[in-house]
Amino acid sequence: MYELKSVDKKFPGVHALKSVDFHVNRGEIVGLVGENGAGKSTLMKVIYGAYQPDAGTIMIGGKAVRFAGPRQAMEQGIGMVFQEQSLIANLTIMENIFLGYEAQFQRWGVINWIAMAAAARKQLAKVKLDIDPATITSRLSFAQRQLVELAKVLALEERIDGDLVILLDEPTSVLSKDEVTLLFKLVRELTSRASFIFVSHRMDEVLDLSDRIYVMKDGAVVDVVTREAARIGTIQQKMVGRSVDKQYYREQRQKPFDPGRVLVEFDKVSLPGRVRDISLRLHAGEVLCLVGTEGAGRESILRAMFGMLTPVAGTVTIKGKSGVGLNQPRAVARGVGYVPRERKVEGIVAGMTVYENMTLSQMGRYSSGGVLRVGQERALARDWIARLSIKAHSEFADCGNLSGGNQQKVVLAKWRSGGSDIMLLDHPTRGLDIGAKEDVYEMIRDMSDDGVGVVLVADTLEEAIGLSHTIIAVKDGQIRKQFDSTPGHKPSLVELLQYMI
Amino acid sequence: MNFQRLKPHFPWITLMILTSCVGVYDPNFLRPANLLSLAGDIVPLFIMALGLTFAIFIGGIDLSAQSMANMITVVASVYLASLGVGVAVLCILVGALLGTVSGYVTTRLKVPSFITTLAVGGVCLSAAQWLSGNRAVNMDATQRDAVFGWMIGRTGIVPNELFIAAGLLAICLFVERRTVLGRALKAIGAGELAAAASGVRVARYKIAAFAISGGLAAVAGLLFAVKLSGGAPSIANGFLLPAIVAVLVGGTPLTGGVGGVLNTAIGTLIVAVIRASMLYYGIAATQQQMVFGVVLILAIALSIDRSKLRTVK
Amino acid sequence: MSRHISRQTITRWAPLMVLMVLVGFFTVINPDFFSLRNFARIAIASAPALMVAVGVTFIIVMGSIDLSMEGAVSLNAVVFAFAFLHFGGTLNSWGWLALPIVLAFGAGFGLVNGLVHVKLRIPSFMASLAMGFIGTGAAILVTGGNIVKVDDDLFRGLLTYRYLGFPLMVYMAGGFLLLAAFIQSYTRLGRNFYAIGGGEELAHASGVNVQRVRVAGFALAGMFYAVAAVLVVARIGQAESVSGANFMFISITSAVVGGVALWGGVGGVWNALVGVLIVGVINNGMVVIGLPDFIQSGMLGVLVIIAVVLSTDRRAVAFVK
Repeated sequence: MYELKSVDKKFPGVHALKSVDFHVNRGEIVGLVGENGAGKSTLMKVIYGAYQPDAGTIMIGGKAVRFAGPRQAMEQGIGMVFQEQSLIANLTIMENIFLGYEAQFQRWGVINWIAMAAAARKQLAKVKLDIDPATITSRLSFAQRQLVELAKVLALEERIDGDLVILLDEPTSVLSKDEVTLLFKLVRELTSRASFIFVSHRMDEVLDLSDRIYVMKDGAVVDVVTREAARIGTIQQKMVGRSVDKQYYREQRQKPFDPGRVLVEFDKVSLPGRVRDISLRLHAGEVLCLVGTEGAGRESILRAMFGMLTPVAGTVTIKGKSGVGLNQPRAVARGVGYVPRERKVEGIVAGMTVYENMTLSQMGRYSSGGVLRVGQERALARDWIARLSIKAHSEFADCGNLSGGNQQKVVLAKWRSGGSDIMLLDHPTRGLDIGAKEDVYEMIRDMSDDGVGVVLVADTLEEAIGLSHTIIAVKDGQIRKQFDSTPGHKPSLVELLQYMI
Repeated sequence: MNFQRLKPHFPWITLMILTSCVGVYDPNFLRPANLLSLAGDIVPLFIMALGLTFAIFIGGIDLSAQSMANMITVVASVYLASLGVGVAVLCILVGALLGTVSGYVTTRLKVPSFITTLAVGGVCLSAAQWLSGNRAVNMDATQRDAVFGWMIGRTGIVPNELFIAAGLLAICLFVERRTVLGRALKAIGAGELAAAASGVRVARYKIAAFAISGGLAAVAGLLFAVKLSGGAPSIANGFLLPAIVAVLVGGTPLTGGVGGVLNTAIGTLIVAVIRASMLYYGIAATQQQMVFGVVLILAIALSIDRSKLRTVK
Repeated sequence: MSRHISRQTITRWAPLMVLMVLVGFFTVINPDFFSLRNFARIAIASAPALMVAVGVTFIIVMGSIDLSMEGAVSLNAVVFAFAFLHFGGTLNSWGWLALPIVLAFGAGFGLVNGLVHVKLRIPSFMASLAMGFIGTGAAILVTGGNIVKVDDDLFRGLLTYRYLGFPLMVYMAGGFLLLAAFIQSYTRLGRNFYAIGGGEELAHASGVNVQRVRVAGFALAGMFYAVAAVLVVARIGQAESVSGANFMFISITSAVVGGVALWGGVGGVWNALVGVLIVGVINNGMVVIGLPDFIQSGMLGVLVIIAVVLSTDRRAVAFVK
């Protein structure tokens, strides 16, 4: 009924979708799994109309279609329930459900709230959400908002003639166990009205809900299994089963760390939100990797180490000194460096030059009496541009114009040149091409050699395993297991996934 | 000629075009003595705009500048007799102190700078009214000449105020381009999140920006008082909006992070030329305000760098 | 939801509570404050400001700002006065035509303001500031700097004729307030203001014509500025190029004090009402309790800051500019 044939999509440096074939039958729930970077989100964006395929066809009911944007896709019955909510928080539920389609409820520009509320109630009934449609959306819980998003997509039913295809993007990552059960029950009931494409990291849930599962890896579909034939182990193998080139992660450079020098210690730390009872130790020269699904709490732990989050319980110790009252300036002073995930917003300042960005965390060292020694700053920048092979025309280049990989190098240079010896890396290779990734891995090894302690939240499990000395699996805000990951004794993917999900 | 490369130079170009428009119409305009005199008149406005630049550079605004200047004219007039030249120190300290208060309320209490500085402006007005008994206060002319006469004199054909302006511009430019403070302010305006994530003490620098704005508004007030040989609570009225305009037209957007004091200098000159042009073109007094508004729209439409604005709000 | 009063609820009702505390405060110091006569005084002083605040609230909710009101009100006042005098100078004959004329003119001026902002892609701060200059300038041009008197007894009846202690102009303002509330809550346009303010890209992706709504918002505000102008002329009996003085800061401050968020999407005309009343009560109260003249601006400033601090949900604000 809905089909993708040989769909291909390329971005500069990345072949995101390689001739993908995909189809969904009426009333079917199809699961879509794969590692980060496997192509899942690109595929979804092509399906709901945000991207147009470079090659191949999309067919609905046997007819080829082309969408200029999400609205056209919606008009053909394809809707997406977003992971990061796409509701306007300050509007009421009913306005969000009918956003863009209010015309049916208005006359001469005046809105008939009663009619809209009644229609909204009908939609809400489909998702079994019994709530006043006039409630302001910001008042709802995550689970309720998820249901409103689902209702919004289901409202397409009344508008179009054909069948609905609904994409669910990681719908369960912020829901409790009970809420997930309810959601699944609901989705199964709704298969009488629509087909679903269910994307999730959580293997057990995908197996539970889907009729068929597509497994993606490196932009291609590597397997399609039916529920009966599906085994978690085999699927996981297919997901990540590239022959892991040890050279890629520079494993041969991994040296043991000194267990005597503890840089950071968490003792039963709980953070605002779900993170509870975290105890861990980071040693000099160690690469410690936090693995877990989105929302498991890894980023919060990193941010607590950088003083961006204050623990509600437990103690944080940095280089032997208490972390009470830790904030960013103090963390930096103690030698902590943070390479954030959102590099364009939190990593570099667009509009400032390479040398200005590099010295931003250490201006005291490049100034006397408040006056900057620009000559020295520039020399520093030139030095590191050469060292890290940063592709910029000079130290005067605007960081906003550099490619992602080079921006990341500037951020790393910023901290390394300042002598930070506790590095917090949040998805450091996200969006980088292969060459840039290898450069980052090389730098991580250099840092370990220098006795720097690295806490890493990796993009993929392979990366985590390849790079780390120690792996900590986090799930639902708590540590499930700590693995030793020295060369020769590295845990397998399967072992890790067990504890992540 | 690459259009993109020209963009940051638009303010200069606009200034040149405007000046030539007037010069072509009446060559008298271009006489050096005349141009210098024009520039000299605009110095108090320029100093106020200079201070405002710092507040706007970090993405805020300082609406207390005018009331601050007013208050300082009174303070200067009242305390000249007792403090002599020390009154200048007093004025600047008061300005910086009140600016610090504005900064504190904006950053720690999270009140939008629009409201905070407006409120602080109200406090300044009260202080000015109380101190002056709500009437004009005069400076003793001889004492004024003795202590501050150099400010309003001339060296050759150059009004002394221009030296003051140039000096302040040089200092501010140095601070903006060569000091830790200036670099931090630029980072805060252009990428506050990244600055915070790099360990920059954002709140502290924001407060400093408001303190500088207050201090410079005070200097503007002092200069005003010296020129008029006295002070009153509403003497500098009608300066705030042109000062803001000077900053914005010069190329520092309300969101901050780009532009700077040099841009403000150009912006101030643009405002001065537009004002002067109306006299030379013989535009009636009753039409001037309106023409100013129209020319302003044109100048801005042509000179702002829209590539930096994703959505125009 | 939980039983106890949430933080959200407190910040929502904070402005009203602040208003009540202020009224109580001033009454305690001088019981004459709490009298019909005095409340009428506050209402009269606040009525024009309320109209301006309501107009600018629509724009702030959209996430923009409008600084043109001083020029707009002055120009509208002058246009109204001239039209009124042209049509006979009294409500008895055709003078009443001046009202729809000025409303249309005000909306037109706002429309131009919006177009300059949207079509020339000039940020609303600058565009409206420049339009304000043009408005004041046009008022000067048209009046030649002179005052235009409007003497008609019937028209002044807006001020002099009282019903239940309050002059007609207060009811007129109230009527337009209700209109604004209707637009805000019951029309597509009004809801679009909120959609744009709360999530412009999302709204755009859902088919809202953001540009058109923006321009319409400025036109609507312009119409309310025209109403304010009529009230100003009714109150003082004349129109001049400075009729609009001081409205800019007072209106925006009132809106924010009442709970309208400067970043858009939050608050509405009822917040503007509470904010205008807070400012009006403070101004009036300071006089009634005999606070010396010179302290008043400073006191107003301090109280405004306190009011905003109390009514801002600070945890919801990541960083304030």
